[in-house]
Formats: sequence, C-alpha cells, structure tokens
Amino acid sequence: MISKLRAAGLTRRTFLKSTAITAVGASMPSITLAAGEPIKIGFLAPLTGAVAAWGKPGLDGCMIWAERVNAAGGIELEDGKHPVEFVSYDNEYDPAKARTGATKLIREDGVSFIMMLGGDTWPGVQPVADKTGMLFSTLLPSDLSPDSTTLLAPAEVHPIYLVTGVDYLADTFPDAKTVVICAQDDALGLPSVATYLAAFEARGIEVLEEPLLFDPATTDFAPIVTRMLSSNPDIICLDTCYSDYVHPICEQLFQQGYKGKMISATADFYDQMIAKTSKEFMEGFIFQFPDFDDPALSGDNINFEDANGFYEEYAKRHPGQWGAVSWEYASIMDLWKAAAEQAGSADPEAVMEAMKEGGTGKHAFGDAVWWGTELFGIDNALVGDWPVVVIEDGKAVIKGFKSIPDWYDQHGDLLIKHMQAYNQMYDQRG
Amino acid sequence: MRKALIWIAFGAALIALPHGLSFSQQEILVFLTINILVVSSYRLLTLTGEWSLAHVVIMGVGAYASAMMTKNLGVYVPVAMLMGGIIAALIAVVLSFPLFRMKGFYFLIGSFAAGEIIRLLWKHFRDPFGGAKGIKGIDPMPDFSIGIYDFDFFEPVSYFYFAGFIVIVCLWILWRIERSPVGLTFHAVHWQDKLAEASGVNLRAYRTLAFAVASGFAGIGGALLAHYIGTINPGSFDLDYMVFVLTWAIVGGTGTFYGPILGCVVLTILNEVVLRELGFEQLRPLIYGAILIASILFLPNGLESIVQKFTKRSAKS
Amino acid sequence: MLDLLAQTGLNAVYAASYISLVAVGLVLIFGVMGVINFAHGELFMAGAYVVVAVYADMHMPFFIAVVVGLLFVGCLGLLMERALFRPLRDNPLGGLVASIGFLMILQALATMGFGVRMEFIPPVTQHVVQLGENISIPLARVYVIVAAIVLLSALWYFLKRTRFGWALRASAQDPQAAELQGISIAQTAKIAMFIGAGLAGIAGALTAPLISVNPHMGHSVIVTAFIVIIVGGVGSLEGAIIASIAYAFVHTFVTTFYGGVIADITGLSLMLIVLIVKPTGLFGSADRA
Repeated sequence: MISKLRAAGLTRRTFLKSTAITAVGASMPSITLAAGEPIKIGFLAPLTGAVAAWGKPGLDGCMIWAERVNAAGGIELEDGKHPVEFVSYDNEYDPAKARTGATKLIREDGVSFIMMLGGDTWPGVQPVADKTGMLFSTLLPSDLSPDSTTLLAPAEVHPIYLVTGVDYLADTFPDAKTVVICAQDDALGLPSVATYLAAFEARGIEVLEEPLLFDPATTDFAPIVTRMLSSNPDIICLDTCYSDYVHPICEQLFQQGYKGKMISATADFYDQMIAKTSKEFMEGFIFQFPDFDDPALSGDNINFEDANGFYEEYAKRHPGQWGAVSWEYASIMDLWKAAAEQAGSADPEAVMEAMKEGGTGKHAFGDAVWWGTELFGIDNALVGDWPVVVIEDGKAVIKGFKSIPDWYDQHGDLLIKHMQAYNQMYDQRG
Repeated sequence: MRKALIWIAFGAALIALPHGLSFSQQEILVFLTINILVVSSYRLLTLTGEWSLAHVVIMGVGAYASAMMTKNLGVYVPVAMLMGGIIAALIAVVLSFPLFRMKGFYFLIGSFAAGEIIRLLWKHFRDPFGGAKGIKGIDPMPDFSIGIYDFDFFEPVSYFYFAGFIVIVCLWILWRIERSPVGLTFHAVHWQDKLAEASGVNLRAYRTLAFAVASGFAGIGGALLAHYIGTINPGSFDLDYMVFVLTWAIVGGTGTFYGPILGCVVLTILNEVVLRELGFEQLRPLIYGAILIASILFLPNGLESIVQKFTKRSAKS
Repeated sequence: MLDLLAQTGLNAVYAASYISLVAVGLVLIFGVMGVINFAHGELFMAGAYVVVAVYADMHMPFFIAVVVGLLFVGCLGLLMERALFRPLRDNPLGGLVASIGFLMILQALATMGFGVRMEFIPPVTQHVVQLGENISIPLARVYVIVAAIVLLSALWYFLKRTRFGWALRASAQDPQAAELQGISIAQTAKIAMFIGAGLAGIAGALTAPLISVNPHMGHSVIVTAFIVIIVGGVGSLEGAIIASIAYAFVHTFVTTFYGGVIADITGLSLMLIVLIVKPTGLFGSADRA
C-alpha cells in the first residue's frame, strides 16, 4: 500500500514542472526554460519582523535591477533572451521557515538561483542546498564552510574588508595609538570583533580593554559609552553595529564630550547622524560603505552596472532608505547575469562554473579573486579591493580602494589567531 | 469494532496526507506535527491552572541537550531525543522550586524570567552552547528501511511519518495521564485549590509533576525539531514563538484535549499557507493579529466550542 | 573613578525615569482591568511614532508632539478598553490574547506607515549640562527625568486626593466591593486605560529623539517593565516606582562595570530571588495575583 502511495507521489512530482526528482528523493533540479520564458530568481530573506531591515531594502533594490535588465531585453542565454523575475519568500529570520522557503522556491517555483541574507537561517537551508545542488548566495561569508560547495559570498566579504579601514586610519593618523571596541553579541558582531583585533594588532594600535559586548535588545547606550570613554582611548571602534546602535552610540559619544577618532563598518544614514551630532564631530568618521553617487564609482574598475544611475533611481523610489543592503543583492545579480550569459544557461551548476572560471570574478568594487580556503575552508568568497569611506564636510567620500588579499598575505596569522579566540573559524562553528 | 475502524481510517488518512500536499506544505506539515506535541504538552500544565511562559525555552532545553549529546558524545539520535526529554523534565523540576512559590500572574512572569535566564546563558556561553549562533550541523536522524518503506530523513514525508509516530505515542501517553487518577487530581488542583489541599492532596507535588511531564514532552518536541532542521540557536526559542504557542492553546480552547491541537492546526494553516498563498506576504502579521482578536471576541471558548456544539447536536439527533 | 561612578549614577537616573513611566502605566492597567497588557511596549512605540509624524515630519514643536503622543496613545488605550477588554471582562486569558493581536497590528501598521528602517528624529536640543569635568547630562535627558517626576507626582495627587483616584484605587483593590459602593467600574476602567496607555505613550514620545525608533522597539521595553512590576509587586504603584529605580541602578552599573549581557542576567536573577523570598513582590499583597 505504501509503495503505491509512493508511486502516486512520484506521478505528482513528475507533474510538477522543473523538478525532475529521482526515486530516492531530491536531486539536482534540471531547469529547462522555454524560449522567452522568464528566469526566476529566489529571494529568501526576512521581509517582516525585527531583521526585516536586512532583507526588504535589498528586495527593493532587486526590483529596480530587474526592471533595468528587462528594459534592456533581459538575460541572453543560448536559446535567446529571457526576462528575469524575482520570487520572494519571507523567512522571518527563522531557520525552519527558511528551509520551507528554500524547498518552495526550488521545487515549486523552479528558481535558478537563490539569494539569502544568511546568518541564523543558512544552517536550516544547508541540507536543502546539499541535496538539490541549488546555487545560493549569502551576505555573510561566515556562513561559508567546506561542507556546502554551492554557497557563494560574492558581494559582502564581511568582516575581512574591515582591515582596509584600519589600515587607512593607521596610515593617516599615526598618533592614534589606543582603541576601545564595542559590539553587539551576535553572529555579525563577533567575527567582526576578531577582525578588528587582528587589524589593530597588525598596525601596533593597542586595544585598551576586552571588547564590550552588549545584548542586541539594548536601547540605552549611555552606560556603554560612559564605560568606553572611561579608559580615554584615541579611537572608538563601533565594529559591525547595526544602524539602530551606531546612531545612538555616536549621539552619546558626542554628548559625553568625546573628541577622538571613530571607525565603524557601516554608517547608514550618516546624514542623520550628523544632524544628531554636528558636522565637526562626524568629520573624519571612517567606514566601508560608499554612497553610490560617489564619482569614484563611475570609474572603469567598478563592475556595478551604472552605480550612479541605480542610486538615483533608488533614492527616488525609496527616499532616505539607502543603505548597504540596498545594492548588495543587486550586485550579486550583476555577477550572476554575467555568468549565466557566459554559460549560455541558467542551470545552477553551469552558472557556478562560469562564475568561478579562472578563479577570478568581477566584484562590484573591481576585479577580485575567489578566496577563503584558510579562513572558510573553501574559496567561495569573492575578495579583492574594498573602498575606505570617510565623512568629509558632511558627505561620504571614497578615499581609495585597498586590497584585502594583500593585507591577508602579510597578517593572515593574526586574523586566524583572533578568529580562533572567538570560536569563529569554520571548523569551530558548529 | 466501529471505533477500531475509525482509527484505522484515521491512520490511513495520516499516511496519505503528505502525498496530497506540495513540497513546501510537506515541510510545514513536519513543523506542525512537532508543534502539536508542544501545544498539547502545554495544555497538561494549564490543567493545574498555571500558565507558563517558559514552555518554549524548555522545549529548547530538550533540543540543545539532544543536539549536544549526538554531536559531542555520539549518542544515537532517537536515544538522544529521549534523553533530551528527560533533561528538559529535570530542568523543569529544578525550576519548580522557585516558580511554584508563585501563582497566577507572578508565575507567568516568573516563568518568563526563568526562561530568559536560560536563553541568556545559551547566548553568553559560546562554549558549549555556541553563543548567539547556536549549534549547527546537528546530526540528522539516521536513515533506515523497514522493508516496505525506506526512510530518508531529509525528505519531509519520511520525517513526518517518524515524527508523527512519536507524537502520536506521546499524545496517547498524555491522554492516558489526563484520564488517570493523577490527571483528575490536576483538574482538582486547578478548580478546588483549598479543598484539594484539605483532602490531603499535596498541591505542590502535583503541580511539579504536571510541570515536569509537560516539559519532558516539550523537550522531545524540541529534539524532533533540532534533528530535522539541523540547527538551533537561542533565537529559535524566543518570546515570539512562545506567544504563538500561547495563542494556539487559547484560541483553540483548553477545555478539551483536542482544543489546542485544533488551534495550532487552524492558525498555522492560516498563517503559513493561506495568507502566503493569497500574496499577503508582508501583511501577514497584521491579518494574523486581527484573526486572533476576532476569534477571541467571537469564540471566547475557543474553536473547540464549535466542535462541541456540532457533536452535541449530532448526539441529540 | 569617582567621576565614572557619578556619571553612571546619572545614566541610571535617566533610565529609571522612563522605565517607571512605562511600568506605572502597566501596573495601573493590570490593577484596574485585571489583564496583562502585552501590547504595552507597542503603546510606547506608538508614542515614539507620534513624535516622528508630528515633530519630525510635520515640523511642529516637540512639546506639542509629546502632548499629542500622550493623547493619541491614551485614546488607543480607550479603544483597547472598549473593543477588547470590556467584552472580555470575565476572560483574563482572552484579554491577554487580544492584546497580543493588538500588538501585532500596531507593529504592522508602523511598518506599513513608516517602513522597516529606524526613523530619524532631529535632536530637540543639543545642550549638555556639565556637572563636573567628566560628569554631564544632555538637556534632552533632563527633560525626561523632569517629566517623569512631574507626571508621577501628578498621578499620585490624582490617586490620593481626588474622588476619581479614590474610585480607581478602590476598584483596583476589590472590584466587587467598589461596585457596591456605587463606583462605576466602566468609568474607572476608561480612566485607568487612558492614563496607563497615555503614560506609555508619553514615555515613548519623550525618549523618541534619544533612542532608535523602529516598529520592534517595544519588545525590550515590555520585558523590562514586566521585571520591574513583578519585583515591585503587581498591584503596587509605589512598588513599581521603587523597583524601577532599583532595576535601573543595578542594570546600569552592571552594564558599565561588567557588560550588557551580564546585566540582563543579573536583573532577571535578582527578580527571581525577590520572588523566592517574597512571592508577591516587594510591595504586593497576595489577593491580587
């Protein structure tokens, strides 16, 4: 009886388009598109709930990206041009819902590629990725491990790009010799702390006390800022704090009379930070995420298609909402489109092969290498140059692009040492 | 005889059920099955009149215990799941010492605080709990074959059969407990506090027993979840999840054994299937909230009251 | 070191101010209505969003925005009383579920109206009061402290010296007896909900320029408020205020000297210890649990 039911299940499965499943279970979905049929891309990120700010603005960016690509005729595969279409699934930053979403996107919607925020949700999806061979991308390279070969980190190379900011700081202000770090105690904060510790140690900057970790539910930052200022540092490092923390922390630093340097991974909505403090106070604030209207991003080395135009359109549709995630998912799509066109197919395996061909790839901020064997156990992070951004006269300005692999060649051992101390190496996470 | 036939038909329907669903619905079915165990075990505790906000965290205790035993000690997965349940029950016994000094609202919030402390400990101690990232790569249930059916536990259908079997066994035990003299005493503890005490019932012992048993089954539920998704973290067992369990129980109604199950099934299908299918992806919290309010206003005795009306009427005719 | 202690003390006074506003509102609602208002954190959030709309977007004076926040959220309280808690009077668990539903709706409305991102609110004043070389407090925080003292004193006067307050206290102590005394429970319920919600709203409005305003900001506030009212004793307004101060000082000092996560664990553990020693909280009586 059960075998009959299974047979019934099989006919149902074959009935479903785009999921040629073998008798044992799921295997590689072979995606065959009719001519002119849209290519579907999965967007599996939090769209509601407390982490929605890391998903929703990215989906907004993807919509703009899709319109621009489709207006130009779509994606050119071997059998002609195909429009592109995003299918989203709200995973609420929950691993179980992410697993359900991945199943739906792959087996029911027939997507060719899935973009995720990653983090807590990735381990839930990992078994699905392993079984189906679907190509996934994450914004958090700390999800990478040798266990999953089809997960790529092609846009954000958090946290290793942070070393470029510290290098700039040390080069420009050799007198700044001491630093205090604060971070939220979570999956984003800790690898970032380890990276900053390595970067400061590499440049002989003394970290005055253990990095101050606070709970993500913190609302009042006065006590933390008071503590940081009590050791009188030359530099305050805000780690990879979310903007909900960066803003109140900076405001407190301003109000408690801090005068030194500040460095941070992000400064989303820095105009608001300036309004809350002062132009003088924010002058020289170092971070890593440029505005895309920066003239440096129209240069030949930049692979993000028409960065300035994209920014303008985004700012028009979602005024005041521009942030790091706004462009990152779209930049992954640039990379994917180029690879699919090169492969002539949307098949995940073929696209991945084309993408990684020659071990180099066209990252948004310039040509880069597939990298990360030592740190992640697999070379699935696209790492090259990363911009150092500084606030000058109230506006974020790119002060230059610095090479991450070059830094790593010199100081890799330091990074591994600190990553190990925070249990963040790929063979320790788990 | 007729009863047996009904049960056989019911069993066959359950076996056939996943084959009528889409792939993502099969996944939801697995989580629904586990949640049925969680909400049913929660009802056992509410029988004594106490409403806990620690139930989901204790479910997490079972999940963490089982995951750590398989990962660090190499314990066979089903054994680890059982151990997870036992450890959850033991933790509940420990917690009962402070908590059962309180009643009513104090107990509710006291249990919440106890749960939060456990969650913060998971977050704070990266060794051995993995900190905020939790535990990844938890061993799945090993595949096996029973001749006519090959269990491949990546497949939601297989896991549904496995988890469904365990959940049915657990529900049967819960049902037997409720119908036993012990279970009747639970009711008495709730309704006749002073009287029960006067007639020599050790209130505290019975409360603790109900709390421990309920927690044990919740722990098994947590272990079932952990070995299916393969990852758990402190955020997996937060207040939001607890609020869902609470609303399933209350919207379903806790007067009957099936009430909370009904609430869980109906609300999950609404939230995860109907609202998503209708394209309300980002509006779901709004509509779900409105449904909660409407159901509690218009069905104050829970969804079970509809069923009761129906069965009473058919009994009369 | 002395400076650090003094500065941390000031930080704690500010924290105590807004926590006590939220907690006193929650206690008032529980005392009179007998329901646990899970949506109280979202009422705080609603007050903050009123400031976003009135002060940041419509450029009205901050003071007006705060008053609008008080009135608007107070009216939300009346709405909850009329639509949810009154029909569910005999069903405290129903009231709990209804407030959870209301919480989800408020969060979703804030997301729809203002987006998932944190909101920008221009600073009301950037003036910092210097009390010593390394001891200072921003004027905006002083406003919150002063407002809390004024509002809570006014509430105390209202409760102890007016007929309404007498009726309110009577129905909080024993609803049946109060009704026999000719007190209209429906009337006192409205007043309690308006004041209780309004206090959460004004706390949200006052602190909005100082914290990150987003649709989920209510969560950590409600958790703190629960801890505080349990420690203080559920029916006791004085207890809520004293517990707010105690909690704020412990939490702030532990955060500064040992770290944020430890502070959270300490706060919760202290609460459990209080409950073990005195299961009805420091100032609570056994009958209203």
